[in-house]
Amino acid sequence: MNKNLRSKLAIAASLMLSVGLVATGLPSAQAESGVQPTAAQLAAWKGKEITYYFYNDSQAELDTTKSQIAAFEKLTGATVKLDVIPYTSLDTQLQARLAAGNAPDVARLNNPGLYIKDSLDLEKYLGRKYAADFLKGSTLQVTHPTTKKLIGVPYDLTVNGPFINLDMFKKAGVPVPTSWNWATLVEAGKKVQKATGSEYAFAIDKSGHRVSTVMSQFGAFMVDKNQKNVLPLSKTRAEKAVKIITDLYKADQAPRDLWIGTGTKYSSPTAIFLAQQTPIFFSGNWQVAALEKDAKFAFAAVPNPKELNGGGWPGGKFLVAFNASKTPDLAAYFLYYLADTAQLEEMDKKAFWLPTRNDLVAKGIKYATRASDMDVFLADAGKTPAAAYGIQSVPTLTGLIYNKLRDLMTEVMAGKITVKQAIQTQSEFIDAQLATLKK
Amino acid sequence: MPYLFVAPNMLIFLTFIIWPAIRGFQISFYDSIDGRTFTPVGTGNYRSIFGDPTVAEVAKNTAIYVVFYVTISTILSLAFALIVNEQKFAKSFFRAILFLPVMLSPIVVGLIWNDVLDRKVGPLNALLQAAGGGSPGWLVEPKLGMIAVIFVGVWVHLGFYSIILLAGLQGIDRSLLEAAAMDGATRPQIIRTIILPLLKPTTLVILILATIHGFQSFDFIYTLTGGGPLGATTLIVQYIYDRAFQTPIQYGLGSAAGVILFMIIFAFTALNFLLGKKREAI
Repeated sequence: MNKNLRSKLAIAASLMLSVGLVATGLPSAQAESGVQPTAAQLAAWKGKEITYYFYNDSQAELDTTKSQIAAFEKLTGATVKLDVIPYTSLDTQLQARLAAGNAPDVARLNNPGLYIKDSLDLEKYLGRKYAADFLKGSTLQVTHPTTKKLIGVPYDLTVNGPFINLDMFKKAGVPVPTSWNWATLVEAGKKVQKATGSEYAFAIDKSGHRVSTVMSQFGAFMVDKNQKNVLPLSKTRAEKAVKIITDLYKADQAPRDLWIGTGTKYSSPTAIFLAQQTPIFFSGNWQVAALEKDAKFAFAAVPNPKELNGGGWPGGKFLVAFNASKTPDLAAYFLYYLADTAQLEEMDKKAFWLPTRNDLVAKGIKYATRASDMDVFLADAGKTPAAAYGIQSVPTLTGLIYNKLRDLMTEVMAGKITVKQAIQTQSEFIDAQLATLKK
Repeated sequence: MPYLFVAPNMLIFLTFIIWPAIRGFQISFYDSIDGRTFTPVGTGNYRSIFGDPTVAEVAKNTAIYVVFYVTISTILSLAFALIVNEQKFAKSFFRAILFLPVMLSPIVVGLIWNDVLDRKVGPLNALLQAAGGGSPGWLVEPKLGMIAVIFVGVWVHLGFYSIILLAGLQGIDRSLLEAAAMDGATRPQIIRTIILPLLKPTTLVILILATIHGFQSFDFIYTLTGGGPLGATTLIVQYIYDRAFQTPIQYGLGSAAGVILFMIIFAFTALNFLLGKKREAI
């Protein structure tokens, strides 16, 4: 991708991400940030240990983290204990640790809203201006809902979207899509399945977050920036979106075992895509590194289908320091260090992350490989509708709302309820959850 | 002096079993979403559990699982113990094979069987198809899901129960069996009239252990089906786990469900024990 295009896309992404902030009226950072450790701090940190609670989507993330930790230890004289946790038990283990008074100092999370009460006020250590270093929309999920202070750092930006198996598409004589809608996506998947004899035509992560992308494309949203349930306004569109996915699973054109047969757990069909059992895999950019390492076939990220809207669905990972830390200044500085321009650029490049820092967005990340895939995700970030950021106005509820949608879809796939009933129940659930915010 | 010898064990037992059990009972009367702040709710958690429609489903699943698991485990382990006891060739090898699943991590067991039972690409259905059968949705159809879970549960523990019964079998005085044989008793007669009655105390242990294991089953089920499809294999321990550790956390509710589970297991164990004693007295 040429530099001009990259800059345009970066600006587009930045603008889109900013919408959420403007709408919620968060104050801008004003105070100076003073984050360089003093000689006294360095002396105090020497020999101290902090724990970093971490999960990784790829080996590249883990390797880069380890090398950055080594550099941090050399710089500060402190030790960082890396606790690598499987993604599937990330929140379960962390909540148990917090309850047991065994909180880590720093954690990498994708649902920071659950830990608002436990998170360290970063402004105290990194200054009020620090938040302005990051894309404004991406700080929403790590902004305290009442104090409006920064309680975490946006570490990477994720965008949902489809991958296709190029070899299977080629074998089936189906052209690689440059733009498509859901009907053409499903048709292409079925054609490739038929021609190659693959088990499935399509697979998507078992996640309400991923399905929200499809809903957004059909113009359906669940919560707006004012913490209102907006699903009743777009029920028919939501039903259309959910039906597209559930029909594929009901017809056995998507891996039913993986969705229905895993109870209420998250599961991803990455292994199914890697085993070439499906030509289309709907997930997100965080898969690029793992797919590049493990895929024994040619694959590519392709644009999200466009209905009323195009684009993906925002998400990301966040760094959070906990207020139970015995060395909060060291924990805050570690977090600052990991998310500074140099470290983050290295991680973005190696692990195929999309940048969250304004300076990196402006500069653009030069990925050594898979640059075209990352361009696709970056382009989709720019096309993501502003309303997609609305749900981030209820950071403590996002996980619950997504999980309920996932579980209702399971019931639809198994023929227990209809899509209409699922959307109605989802809407009632959202109302009930939003009511808890007022208590 | 004897108390001194049991003291280390008792200390561990008190610290990791008794004290948490007391705390769990206490927490069951509170509401806590983070394990740090507790609001007293009286018997509210117990009322919530009994008012929760999913509890009836979970209770039904647990009852089905326990009944089939205990019955099948006991019968099969008895059969295997009898077979292995008579084995002349490669005795140790077969015992090791029988015991092997016991040594596997339950998490791994769940993952392995999850692959084996996959409807489309699992080896079991591949075999069934090769034999002209269909492709049952072991992990997709609620009834088949329960069958799969019972089967795997039995498979995991069978070796353990068989070894205990084998020890019981070897404790039977061989002269009794030889005398019966010399008197012309057939093998089934010997089993029915001598072996099974003499094996009753060991069988009672198996029944108690299997009942406890049945009610406590969770780990391999969690990785095998996650409690699905559609909650058909969600048993009481997963209900506790979901309430206590899955968002939104409800420690009080989880603890109350734990207390109820304790009472059920205690009641069944006591009943088994009393019935066993009564039979022995007769």
